[in-house]
Amino acid sequence: MCFIDGKNLCYKYGVYGDEKSTNALNDINIKINRGEFVAVLGHNGSGKSTLAKTFNALIIPEGDLVINGLDAEKEENIWEIRKSVGMVFQNPDNQIIASVVEEDAAFGPENLGVKPEEIVKRVEFALENVGMTEYRLSEPSHLSGGQKQRIAIAGILAMMPECIVLDEPTAMLDPIGRREVMQTIEKLKREKNITVVLITHFMDEAAKAERLIVMNEGKIAEDGKPKDVFADVRKMKELRLDVPYMTEIAYELKNCGFNIKEDISECGEMAEELLKIGFKEKFVFEKEKKEKVRDEVILKTENLSYIYEENSVFEKKALDNINIEIRKGEFIGLIGHTGSGKSTLTQIMNGLIKPSSGRVLFKGRDISDDKKIRMKIGLIFQYPEYQLFEINVFDEVAFALKNMGADEEEIKERVKEALAAVDMGEEYYEKSPFGLSGGEKRRVAIASILVMQPEILILDEPTAGLDPKTRDDIMKNIVKMKNEMGMTVVMVSHSMEDIAEIADRVIVMKNGKTAYDGEKEDIFGDNEKMKNMGLDIPKCAMLAEILRNKGIDVPKEVFTVKNTIKFLKGALVK
Amino acid sequence: MKITIGRHYPVESPIHRLDARVKIVGVFLYVTAIFIAKGAAEYAVAAIFTFIVIYMTNVPVKMFLSGFKNLAVIIFFTAILNIFFSNEGNVIWKAGILKITDMGIVTAIRLTVRLLLLVIGSSVLTLTTSPMELTYGLESLLKPLKKVGVPVHEIAMMISIAIRFIPTLTEELEKIKKAQSARGVDFESGNFMQRAKNFIPLLVPLFISSFRRADELAMAMESRGYRGDEGRTRMKKYLLNVQDKRAGIIMVVFLVIIILMRILI
Repeated sequence: MCFIDGKNLCYKYGVYGDEKSTNALNDINIKINRGEFVAVLGHNGSGKSTLAKTFNALIIPEGDLVINGLDAEKEENIWEIRKSVGMVFQNPDNQIIASVVEEDAAFGPENLGVKPEEIVKRVEFALENVGMTEYRLSEPSHLSGGQKQRIAIAGILAMMPECIVLDEPTAMLDPIGRREVMQTIEKLKREKNITVVLITHFMDEAAKAERLIVMNEGKIAEDGKPKDVFADVRKMKELRLDVPYMTEIAYELKNCGFNIKEDISECGEMAEELLKIGFKEKFVFEKEKKEKVRDEVILKTENLSYIYEENSVFEKKALDNINIEIRKGEFIGLIGHTGSGKSTLTQIMNGLIKPSSGRVLFKGRDISDDKKIRMKIGLIFQYPEYQLFEINVFDEVAFALKNMGADEEEIKERVKEALAAVDMGEEYYEKSPFGLSGGEKRRVAIASILVMQPEILILDEPTAGLDPKTRDDIMKNIVKMKNEMGMTVVMVSHSMEDIAEIADRVIVMKNGKTAYDGEKEDIFGDNEKMKNMGLDIPKCAMLAEILRNKGIDVPKEVFTVKNTIKFLKGALVK
Repeated sequence: MKITIGRHYPVESPIHRLDARVKIVGVFLYVTAIFIAKGAAEYAVAAIFTFIVIYMTNVPVKMFLSGFKNLAVIIFFTAILNIFFSNEGNVIWKAGILKITDMGIVTAIRLTVRLLLLVIGSSVLTLTTSPMELTYGLESLLKPLKKVGVPVHEIAMMISIAIRFIPTLTEELEKIKKAQSARGVDFESGNFMQRAKNFIPLLVPLFISSFRRADELAMAMESRGYRGDEGRTRMKKYLLNVQDKRAGIIMVVFLVIIILMRILI
């Protein structure tokens, strides 16, 4: 029964310079049964990746670790263990070895010395099971992130393992890719009864597992059914983790004295419970007063079109006649699928690429006229920490100012301001940006744009790939910039929940056109519209719809966690 | 931007199915034949043969021509030089040091045709063979060198990984370039020193990311059981089948015909 059995596992990474090394694994006892689907949660640095790597004998911990009946400490067992436990990593690009899909899938069995006829069969089997058979002759670099991750899974499947360990396989994917990968994992579990260990930062993915392990400081902090683990909301927050939205709402209601189950994770279940409690005949829902946006148009696009690689075989219309007006102080959520043209749009708004036709006006002036104007429109790319290169944080942030030719005094002043805006004090100035944590790196990268004192800030997926706590911190920084510095913000995001919570206005891109441009209430409050645009419906909006179908008059503003709790508190019978 | 590396064009065709080794050796024979060819008759035979092969690859002719495009300038200039500066043959036209002779024109045409055939012919190899097969073919052909201590497998693996990562790193460089432009770096203007300095914010992030990728890739390879050449098999059985042998014989016959024509005509 027992597939992985670890007793008193400890592991320490080597000491670099003066950094204090801590135990990445601290006396862990763990048992995973054959055929189990286990999710592992934990903030960055909690030791979950290290634990995962021990399962594949990539890391040999102290203590007793037996995998599939094999002692991991014995060197002669390593290859047998790697044969029975396959591993999928976070970055899809960095685990594909071959330039043709089927050759990559064959890499594992080739290493194992499987007979050629058998490899062909296995590759066929593996690609079929991840739904990538039709791409078997494709080049991986031409595939989407989700497809690449499925190839990576196929590469493992072809080794016929009994267990697959996935280390944040969806962290770098868009919602469609994420869904593809999760469906593949669930299907494998269901049909092939493969043992699955899934490390993730997404609570909704963890909720799909049969068992949930929460790691903290190199130890196992929680271990149980996802529902039970999540139900302890306070503990989860202490561990710097989120809980599913419905669990959080149930927790808040319980705290207000409502008699409601604590282990709710799905919308349907929540609606049932709520109906059991019962709604008042009459209730008031006070709408939040909206800050009046000033009428001054700060950025405007006129008949913007962009054609990729014009007059070539790859020609593609990326943007088609875009007319947008952004007013001072607005917070705009820019959403749409990968390939909908939103990234192209942000780069044109900043003057990085020139439109094929049309123009962008900043306060009435064409941005292609003057480089100085473009500096007023700050653009922060996805994974901005990959652009860091200086020897210390101060120089990194000062880089843009040096390019602009600012004097020493001014540089000092503005760097300080910019770093303060992302909550980084003087203790960071001398540190190397490469020694920082993921979240800190990202904040430095954001500061390195803020230092130019832009009047508009465009952010492309500012929270991608971060753990929940860091995600929240960055979001708070952004909201602060808007509220305290009066910044106009355009944020590209795949997280409907984030957009629903903080944006004033929403622009939806679809096939290079603006499919929607208006108040967020008019789109998030209308699930039909959302579906037509192919967008994910926020969980709270789903709940609202179920309740509406049951005859409850739910106001259209109820699509965020905040408003849902507010509404339920007023509307439920005590 | 999508870059097709090695310009491999993966479709089904009898040429695609051929063993990489046969194709590599075949290209050698072909190139030899083209260099031996001299008269119009030989070139005509070679051209017909080339076009039959191209037709069999199922690759659009456009793809072959795009490879030729980069070399067009070179071919054009060699042709011009040959036309105007040839000393042999009867003078047809003369102006100062420039003169056109009948032999000059013939040489120019011969050279152009030769280069064209060479480029198009060797494109057959890269277009129909995946980089993996190509490296495997080379590995296999160079295997005898292993006996004298050359790490043939490792070199082949390195080449194929390098090929695999070219599009990934190109894309990454493009991203970094844009990100640094957004921080006010001007890559377009400035003097030589300024431009050289601008490489630092490009190369440092690219190197760091390459190291990270290398690290992760090594781990992924290890976790998939890679331990070098030892005990390794290949999915594709690289046994020469009837088709391969037939193709090999055809290439030899082609070379022999060209040689005979050269001698006899």
